Amino acid sequence: MKRQVSAVLLAGFLLLTACSSKSNDTANSTDSGGNQGSSKEITVWAWDKNFNIAAMNQAKDVYVKDHPDVKINVVEYAQDDIIQKLNTGLNSGTTSGLPNIVLIEDYRAQSFLQTYPDSFQDLTSSITASDFAEYKLGPTSMNGKQYGVPFDSGVAGMYVRTDYLQDAGYTVDDLQDIDWQKYIEIGKAVKEKTGKDMLTQDPNDLGLIRMMIQSAGSWYLKSDGSTPDLKDNAALKEAFQTYKELMSADIVKITSDWNSFLAGFNSGDVASLPSGNWITPSVKAQADQAGKWAVVPLPKLKNTAGSVHASNLGGSSWYVLNSDGKEAAADFLAQTLGSNVDLYQSLVTDVGVIGTYKPASEGDAYKSEDEFFGGQAVVSDFAKWTTEIPKVNYGMHTYAIEDILKVEMRNFLNGSDIDKVLGDAQSQTEAQIK
Amino acid sequence: MRNRTKHTGWLFIALAVILISIFYFYPMIQALLLSFKTGAGANLHFDGLSNYKRLFSDKTFFTAVKNTFLFLIIQVPIMIIFAMIISVLLNDSKLRFKGFFRTAIFLPCVTSLVAYSVVFKYLFGNDGLINLALMKIHLLSEPIQWISDPFWAKITIIIAITWRWTGYNMIFFLSSLQNIDHSIYEAARIDGASAVKTFFSITIPLLKPIILFTSITSTIGTLQLFDEIMNITKGGPGNATLSISQYIYNLSFKYTPDFGYAATVSYSIVIMIIVLSFLQIRLAGDDK
Repeated sequence: MKRQVSAVLLAGFLLLTACSSKSNDTANSTDSGGNQGSSKEITVWAWDKNFNIAAMNQAKDVYVKDHPDVKINVVEYAQDDIIQKLNTGLNSGTTSGLPNIVLIEDYRAQSFLQTYPDSFQDLTSSITASDFAEYKLGPTSMNGKQYGVPFDSGVAGMYVRTDYLQDAGYTVDDLQDIDWQKYIEIGKAVKEKTGKDMLTQDPNDLGLIRMMIQSAGSWYLKSDGSTPDLKDNAALKEAFQTYKELMSADIVKITSDWNSFLAGFNSGDVASLPSGNWITPSVKAQADQAGKWAVVPLPKLKNTAGSVHASNLGGSSWYVLNSDGKEAAADFLAQTLGSNVDLYQSLVTDVGVIGTYKPASEGDAYKSEDEFFGGQAVVSDFAKWTTEIPKVNYGMHTYAIEDILKVEMRNFLNGSDIDKVLGDAQSQTEAQIK
Repeated sequence: MRNRTKHTGWLFIALAVILISIFYFYPMIQALLLSFKTGAGANLHFDGLSNYKRLFSDKTFFTAVKNTFLFLIIQVPIMIIFAMIISVLLNDSKLRFKGFFRTAIFLPCVTSLVAYSVVFKYLFGNDGLINLALMKIHLLSEPIQWISDPFWAKITIIIAITWRWTGYNMIFFLSSLQNIDHSIYEAARIDGASAVKTFFSITIPLLKPIILFTSITSTIGTLQLFDEIMNITKGGPGNATLSISQYIYNLSFKYTPDFGYAATVSYSIVIMIIVLSFLQIRLAGDDK
């Protein structure tokens, strides 16, 4: 009998010690973390190996040269994983499993800043916010405080295959300053002459709609960032109608995911690609297409007043979490991506990253010509468009609203009335985000 | 002495009871409490039944329920009938290479959910192997939009889950078939019953408990369907394949986090599973 009791006790004791040894470990590690002694460690999370990770590694190399006592770990996660880990970590109130610096997409930034107040470090005094592109400051700040270091510009352009255009009787000049109607017209000619589709679209991704409406200074929400603006949104209405025309013109190759999207232009199946400048490394990955590509300004909406040839797609910024090591992390960002003009030059040359730090665009690297794009100074073009992007308030519900719009878009493509689908989207959105 | 024995017994199960309480019951109660709270992210506060009210006016939720039940109604019967037929064929004593066939059919369900979903996504892509093959043999003139078309996306998901789970259910049928006394079949044969007659009059009635078991577990599995949707279609195109679990994921992580409402939707699954299992047991398990 006694033996049985002691067996149970032993089992329980083992369990307890297993737990307690764990808590000892964490206690020790926080001690060494809080102790600002000889070595400091900064962990960074980001996605996209060829772009964000590569850029962060450059920043790291620059910083570590002057601060040999700092150890910086750049960890790559998929964006979805970062969002998931951040949400669960911040919601449980513990930051122990989270990094010091994290990359967050601009569309989502406000949802993190507003739903987890005090979880992010105020960087107002670390960087000069006014040195960054105006349209990036809305998503990265809250209540007048600057929380993010604006990074990837996401400035959109139209990548075009000059050889296909030529076959159809057009030159790059014919695509300067056009509207989407003209674009569709050219697309039909290209399809007729070359048999190639004009562009790819994934029906599950409304990026094109986002680009179209932001080019007119409009968004899914009013400028307060919380009132849904779908029902009588002229820009959105025209974007929907343009999208339908595009789809019914038989010039679109349908793709189902990111890889088939990449394959769409890498394999030479399509003649153009409206996208954010972060796609440049992927376009250039197909070295045998060198000289065949050019970048033209994004077409604008024909009938919506105020639509310009500049817009944004994606784009992200760096944030420091309000936890142990925040001072070191803030200093690292402030001295590299927050102010280092030279770093931005090498980012342009080596990685192809176009930042939003205004003083950097004066540098030589921004003026360099790119042989892949037939000698066009693409970076300087993109940098110029960056300054023209209309500022909108993304608010915190971009993807929730977009999931509603995707369904309504399908209804619209299947023949529903435009005012009805936008009205339905409006009422569903009001119920969803209240 | 007997009293002490009793105490020791309790002591032994105490550990399990404590662990189950901490890791099962506590989270369940917490989730129930959470379902009464609203607010984004960490700013949660009690708000009575507002989440439940929202549930009944939420179009997206109903789309998710509709899709999930569509998968359930179409896929589960197909799969169970498949599993049954295959297990009867494999149980044939004259069949050679039995081990090989059993392994081959069971193999899909030991592969990782994510891995097979990703493979399916590529197989059924617009430029995927399935389309290429069908076009090569001139069954198709144009590729089917397996993943980008609302109708075909549903079919793709049904094909995927059928492939993955038929073997799993087959194992239950096989083990049950092996417990059926062979003399019953012999007697039937002597009485001149045909193979079909034997199947419907002997095999199926004797398999009834297993049919019930597999349909309940498959129902529960389908109501919780997530991995395939997440990895193949992400609920798209335009919510055409959105499952309830995918919606919970979207509410928690894709949109501005709304954990309270996500917990409410989770509890709706609990209620549906309870009701459906109860109905199935009532309908099939009359002798219990």
